[in-house]
Amino acid sequence: MSVSASPDFVATGSIGRLKRVRVSQRMRNVELILILIASAINVAALVLVQWGVLGKIDAGPLAVCGLLAVLVLSIHVAMRFVAPQADALILPIATVLNGLGIAEIYRIDLALGNEGWDSLANKQIAWTALALGAALGTIVLIRHQRILQRYTYVAGLFAVILIALPMVPGLGISVNGARVWIQIAGLTFQPGEIAKIALAVFFAGYLVQRRESLSMVGRTFLGMRFPRGRDLGPILVVWVLSMAVIVFQRDLGTGLLFFGLFLVMLYVATGRGSWVALGLGLVAFGAVVANQTLDYVHGRFANWYDAFNDANFSADGGSYQLVQGLFGLAHGGVIGTGLGEGMPEITPVAQSDYIIASLGEELGLAGIFAILCLYLLLVGRGLRIGFAGHDDFSKLLAVGLSFTIALQCFIVIGGVMRVIPLTGLTTPFLAAGGSSLVANWIIAALLLRLSDSIRSEPRLVVG
Amino acid sequence: MDSGVLVSELTLLILRIGFLIALWVFVFFVVYAVRSDLFGQRVRKMPAAAKPAVAPDASAFLTSAQPRVSAPANTEIAPADGTPLKLVITSGALQGQELPLQGDVLTIGRSPDSSLVIQDDYTSTHHARLEVRGGSWLLRDLDSTNGTTLSGSRVTTPTPIPLNTPIGVGSMTFEVRR
Repeated sequence: MSVSASPDFVATGSIGRLKRVRVSQRMRNVELILILIASAINVAALVLVQWGVLGKIDAGPLAVCGLLAVLVLSIHVAMRFVAPQADALILPIATVLNGLGIAEIYRIDLALGNEGWDSLANKQIAWTALALGAALGTIVLIRHQRILQRYTYVAGLFAVILIALPMVPGLGISVNGARVWIQIAGLTFQPGEIAKIALAVFFAGYLVQRRESLSMVGRTFLGMRFPRGRDLGPILVVWVLSMAVIVFQRDLGTGLLFFGLFLVMLYVATGRGSWVALGLGLVAFGAVVANQTLDYVHGRFANWYDAFNDANFSADGGSYQLVQGLFGLAHGGVIGTGLGEGMPEITPVAQSDYIIASLGEELGLAGIFAILCLYLLLVGRGLRIGFAGHDDFSKLLAVGLSFTIALQCFIVIGGVMRVIPLTGLTTPFLAAGGSSLVANWIIAALLLRLSDSIRSEPRLVVG
Repeated sequence: MDSGVLVSELTLLILRIGFLIALWVFVFFVVYAVRSDLFGQRVRKMPAAAKPAVAPDASAFLTSAQPRVSAPANTEIAPADGTPLKLVITSGALQGQELPLQGDVLTIGRSPDSSLVIQDDYTSTHHARLEVRGGSWLLRDLDSTNGTTLSGSRVTTPTPIPLNTPIGVGSMTFEVRR
């Protein structure tokens, strides 16, 4: 923190004149160094995979990943012009996670013998290029988050339409029982991933307007001030929406994600612990009811609670996958088998839901902890941006967006590691899946935009 | 898989550990870049020459010409109804400087992303915050080391800000004025 770099605005003489002196590029220089390290790690991961599986180097995939590094660098260069004060760590962290994901997906493709467009790695690389384009577009087009606040209710409507899209006959398709995909011209997409961004925008805008009435009134019970009955409307509506996703689309993870997002944003907006207590009560009630009435939810609970029971293990849709994932993690040990030298392909869908078990097998406990640290830092940066925010909308949006990443990590990694029942969500940036990549890169871009506009607010530097 | 064609097992073992080390080096680079978040902003001594360096220009003269103990009877709370308000520094190196009070929140601290950055020994990284609650501006101390004062008494709970009343943060005081 050198003396000359910090003041972007210096008070000059007469009344209230805040003069922009110069835009410091310190953040961008840190970012450039970290992006170069990140790209080197990504290339190293691919090389290790090729040595481990093939025993030789195939230049093709390396060249493609070089192109992706060029795309990331082009976002970096664009930010030097349109978002010079943005956070320096989000882009490099997302780059490393994305690159590790591609390397592991490529490794499983090699083991399974997938080539051409059957290869998930090739699809993942194409989607990454698209997602990076979407992130670049977001940063360049959305010049300030107040544009988003203007479209609060449009965002809410957009989210509901996106969530309902897979239920449209002829458009939506079911994969493994969950009806959360749509198919257009052979391409599948999961609109719920984009919906979570729209929901975060809607909740932020809505809560800014309603915060006062949701936090100020109500009666005190057990040391907590509980809201009035008529203020319960919003939380019940979101709960019903999440339950509808769980019941009709048969997707536990997405329903949990939407409700958790609302609960955290409500808590941050009002500062009332009673909302969290109420929300957790609703979740518990929903879980008990779903466990008793929905077969697939009951199955998930049984697989989690009694995973090593042979009845569950050999049942159709039983705990086979979960147990294989745990065996894989155990096989990895502390430093892992090495990239390309484990057997992650044995686990069903090792590239998407179980990517963390695959990486855990090949990179070991040390690698998993590094990945979790990266998520922690990414989410921490997001919360930090919210904390520094100068208006309530920016604060809530930053907290909401970063919390979706945190909650998604917890739900899916917790599921794989058998901390909680397994639910089908994607691991942000790592897992194979285009919609998830696009959505998470847009979230990263929005966080970058928020951090830039928060740091560029008029301010006064004393000393 | 026959992995020993070109690369020996030992080389792969070394590379595998090397890769994990590289991953952790990246993590520590990132942590090093956010160290100010973890350990607070670095304290920088105020240069002793800074005070005379600020030439008393016309506005500063006008400010200092006003009675020091201003705002005796006026205890009107700063409204957040769109009335243009400003924050005026009444003592310290930048006496007489103003900052428009806009939006919902104004943050004060040593952290460079505060709205009012005060880099002296007595200010915490995130020291205090002015925020809009229930139609007026509140002063909230963010559990700072040396505390925040409102007309001389320490602020412990979020307090409505009266106009023209001195607020003390570190070695500096300011007032909210129309």
